[in-house]
Amino acid sequence: MKQLLTKQKAKEIGIRSAGTLAIPIVFAVVLLIACAVGGKTMISGVSGFSNFLIYAGIITITTFALSINLGSGRFDFSLGSMAVLSTLISIRITSSMPVASSTAIINLLLCLMVGAILGAVSGSLYVLLKIPPIITSLGVTLIFEGITYSIASGKYINGGEAMAIYNFMNNNWWFALIIIAVVLAVMIFVFDHTKFGRNYTALKEGQKVSVNTGIKEIPNAIVCYVICGTLMGVVGFLSVARSGGLDGRSLSFGSIGIMFNAFLPMFIGGFIGRFSNDKVGYLLAGLSMSMLNSTFAAYINEVTTSTQSIINAVLLVVFLIYLSNEQTCKDLVTGKLFKKWYIAIKTKVADRKARKGA
Amino acid sequence: MVNVKNPSSEDSSVKKYKFKNLAITLLPIVALAILFAIFCVVVTVNDYNLELYLTNVINRGTVLVLVATGAIFIYTLGSFDISLGASTLLCATVGVLTYNSTQNVFLTIFVMLAVGVGCSLLSSVLASVFRIPVFVTTVAMMSVLSAIASQLIISNGSGNGLSLPKTVFGSLDSPWIKIIFIAVWILICLFIFNFTKIGRREKFLGANPFCAKLTGISMYKYAVIAFVMAGIGVSLGAIFTLSYSPTVNTGTASSIGMDILVAIVFGGMPISGGPRSKIYASLIGGFSYVLLNLSLNIILRMIGVDSQGSQGITQIISALFFLGVVYLASMNYRVKNLPR
Repeated sequence: MKQLLTKQKAKEIGIRSAGTLAIPIVFAVVLLIACAVGGKTMISGVSGFSNFLIYAGIITITTFALSINLGSGRFDFSLGSMAVLSTLISIRITSSMPVASSTAIINLLLCLMVGAILGAVSGSLYVLLKIPPIITSLGVTLIFEGITYSIASGKYINGGEAMAIYNFMNNNWWFALIIIAVVLAVMIFVFDHTKFGRNYTALKEGQKVSVNTGIKEIPNAIVCYVICGTLMGVVGFLSVARSGGLDGRSLSFGSIGIMFNAFLPMFIGGFIGRFSNDKVGYLLAGLSMSMLNSTFAAYINEVTTSTQSIINAVLLVVFLIYLSNEQTCKDLVTGKLFKKWYIAIKTKVADRKARKGA
Repeated sequence: MVNVKNPSSEDSSVKKYKFKNLAITLLPIVALAILFAIFCVVVTVNDYNLELYLTNVINRGTVLVLVATGAIFIYTLGSFDISLGASTLLCATVGVLTYNSTQNVFLTIFVMLAVGVGCSLLSSVLASVFRIPVFVTTVAMMSVLSAIASQLIISNGSGNGLSLPKTVFGSLDSPWIKIIFIAVWILICLFIFNFTKIGRREKFLGANPFCAKLTGISMYKYAVIAFVMAGIGVSLGAIFTLSYSPTVNTGTASSIGMDILVAIVFGGMPISGGPRSKIYASLIGGFSYVLLNLSLNIILRMIGVDSQGSQGITQIISALFFLGVVYLASMNYRVKNLPR
């Protein structure tokens, strides 16, 4: 009996591990083959690896932020504008400091703080106005973009502190790794092992019932927005570390593109989460997307930015088609679908014959 | 002891509710009238040419109103499409390419209509047949369509983009023609929306899709109709984009998709669709948004803010105004829990 249980447990662990790792492994194998065919290297040298980690961090953390409110039915367009504004403010605050590694770390801390404040502003507006979150987020996006544009005088900000962040992060690849690990650990702890996380899940699954049982929705929602803002502060910092600059020219919803990159990893992460933990799923999805991005970078002369956008969008659609029609896809692979069609056609033919006979 | 309600107090509360409802319905129209008055005053005080500025308002508002009016059919269903800006860009790009290679205006218009409707239909088919969430489908479509348009512009155009001779759609670049086109398009949509079963059923689907399905209404069929109407709106928007700006670049109509959301809400329609949807919301909201932005721009320049700075501040103030209008308009529809 004990042996049978152990066998069952081993089987379960096997299925869970396979389900968790399948997508990243498929991504890695396909992309490595694609690189090998063209004689390219997916990640070349320390700078390539650093860039890989930074991009993985940007995607993973944006996915965390997107999933928090979207999972609760609160659509938030303001994520991108929060990332840009928090980084811009922190760069402006530290502009009088010398360009050094320590300033980069101070910048990260400031990004976190400013991001949290912006998240609190966004959440408070939603709670006070009590209008649908999608509408609040439209207004908040326009406000944050307007502030960014006014502070940056509608210019692209580079050099100075932005360069300090860029140099520091590209010379210390392990720092990106630490950021990702810390964010993952904090997310798992906050959402899976605290009272707030349990309340969040309850509100997500059944708002009315949860509120009636005494869960306080308003503080929970504000904290969610604060966490989103903080995460987007980190994303803004990592984006500057990746490009060495900050775009202060975005107006009329120009900043919302940042969050669209997180849709595919969010769905992939959700799928992986069925076998393990959704946060681990988001991380693995972020790593997969970063591998794809590194491959695009290796093929920079052959694959244009437009083609990259099309490939990403097609991947999103194909994956969603699979997710929305999982059973049909499984039946197609096992041949059950043809059997079903055969039976349906056979029944129809028999019906017609019976009607004709009558 | 039987609790009897006082009929007169009940009457007054009903009257109060009705008055509040009427005020909320009229609020967007009143806001538009006030904004128009402010705009006229500000332009006149500055000794600017009012006629020229009004033409500018019509130029900016026409494309937004045409596209938004078609999009209302989608929003009524409780869905939303943010790929409409990218569709407008692709439509205009393909239109320019078609004219430059055939020199045939009618073929160009036909191709633009086909592209507009085709893009919309593709979104609806992906959403309906493969059961993908509409919003995510439109996010993917936005990336694909803008990428295709960019590729076409880069490979066929010069550094400034793709150009069309001004004479092709130049005859449409007159305020009166634009007003006539807007009026005709809105009347057609108004008729379909208010006097046919299409509008009634779309509102029903938007309010309660489950109940509508149980009564035999096909979500698929009405989603396709909604997307076709939006596609026609996109094509008209692309034609009028080319009428006043015959050069297409990657930034053309880029913000339309999101501006539609703002315009519709400004016009007093709930983003969740359903029975409170109104076709004229696009007209009122679209022009309110344009008038607000232009008025703020002039006022800020008046008080000495440079044009660079005024753009950011204009956006902040118009966003606050937007939130304020929506807050007032939604006062009668408050729920106990936080809305989602």
